[in-house]
Amino acid sequence: MIRKLLVAIPLAAAMATTAHAEQTPTEVLKGLIDSVDSLYLTQSSQNLMMMDDNPALWTVDEGEELFHAPRGPNNVSMEACDFGKGPGELKGAVAEMPRYFADTNRVMDLESRIVHCMTSVQGFAADDPAVRQRHGSGSDMMKLQSYISAQSNGMAWNPPLKHPMEVAMRDAGEKLFYRRSGPLDFNCATCHGETGKRIRASVLPNVSVPQEWSKAISWPAFRVGHQNARSTQHRVRGCYWQMRHGQSIAGSDASIALISFWTDAARGQPAILPDMKR
Amino acid sequence: MFKMKTPLAAGIAAAAAIAITAGCASTDSADGKVDYTKMSSAELAEYLIFETNSFRLDQPTQEGTTVRDRQVQDELQKVCSETRNRPSPEQAGKIIADARASVQYPEGGIQLGDWKKGRELAWSGFGFRVGHNVDDHSNRDVGGNCYNCHQMATDRVGGNIGPSLTGYGKTRGNNEATRKFVYEMIYNPHTYFPCTSMPRMGANGLLEEQAIADIMAYMLHPDSPVNQ
Repeated sequence: MIRKLLVAIPLAAAMATTAHAEQTPTEVLKGLIDSVDSLYLTQSSQNLMMMDDNPALWTVDEGEELFHAPRGPNNVSMEACDFGKGPGELKGAVAEMPRYFADTNRVMDLESRIVHCMTSVQGFAADDPAVRQRHGSGSDMMKLQSYISAQSNGMAWNPPLKHPMEVAMRDAGEKLFYRRSGPLDFNCATCHGETGKRIRASVLPNVSVPQEWSKAISWPAFRVGHQNARSTQHRVRGCYWQMRHGQSIAGSDASIALISFWTDAARGQPAILPDMKR
Repeated sequence: MFKMKTPLAAGIAAAAAIAITAGCASTDSADGKVDYTKMSSAELAEYLIFETNSFRLDQPTQEGTTVRDRQVQDELQKVCSETRNRPSPEQAGKIIADARASVQYPEGGIQLGDWKKGRELAWSGFGFRVGHNVDDHSNRDVGGNCYNCHQMATDRVGGNIGPSLTGYGKTRGNNEATRKFVYEMIYNPHTYFPCTSMPRMGANGLLEEQAIADIMAYMLHPDSPVNQ
């Protein structure tokens, strides 16, 4: 579907000047690049050139099929799942996550909500490979995440901070972001606290520049170096690994608190979904 | 940290962290779950780390502790976190004094090692990673991670979180005062820059004496590519 849109949109744009029709992820990124002077956003001209052919777009298509197919012991699709906007309502849902869900009494990120849906609605066992396999473009998880997220492309990050749990998690996440520990004394801000800083050749996004941060948190993204679509939780795990802290467990409350803070830090800026990263 | 913090002290710190969070557990909600909204954000952050199965806390580390011990902050980490690396003058003075006291000098004085070995150690980011992919120190030397943040010899691309060290020995000279400063900066940089981002390579037991000597040679030896 997305690929059809990609072809249709430049055509539509050429024929009429109706601004702000649905943008492609590439157009969203170009809009961010035009809005701020950022070495981070412009560091890879190759990625920008390749973005219209982002392999993650295939993952989105595969996710669409998977989402609507009856599956699991209960033989039902995921259309009955509520991602915060009502059952089956995906438009803009990911731009407003993590959020509090009354049915679980938890603040949940996209990944934990998908797991909840697969186990509670579709009836998969928690240790079913369909649920357990979290990484790689071929996994159900990455297909579903890519499709669901793509329905928030171009929309402003707007995680709700209405429920007290959402506020508590966001605020604890900020503490985690700045909490130095481990043998190297690192925290997230060691790498993401200043503008224009590099680890070796890689320009790092600054949490205080929302335009940069919007791209930084736009997952799933196809990571060229990994040749796979990667998730938010994969990024969190990778950062804790590099910081030498220890392994972050996907779907855990600490990981969701951190994601609550970092999504709030991108508030108001448009999501690039799916994105393409180094 | 490993040299400064005994296993006993680490254990006490861990117990203290649990005691703090156990205090919060008295605010249980009706369904038996701890009520996150009754805690301060700092208390909740500690609770999330230690009590919610958010990290593989029991995984062993290369330094012979566990991930749980790594997550317990020492005094320096606490102050630098709380002040976001801007300690008050009093805090900064204490950090500098503690850092000075932590530095152990090599017997027989500070000597330069082999700059060729130092060049590879400065480039390498290997070591101390745990989790889904554990660095096996018996297979490979622990690297200094220097190039992650510093430009050194310009034939390789370094980061810019720290200052450029290109030509360091050429401009500063290879004299005793410079060698002492460089050694102390690598061993515990809070000696000079309280709450710096740079790791305590010596004080935290990350690099052994010979590795520090080799990296120093890479920085200071006239033949090193850093100084060409």
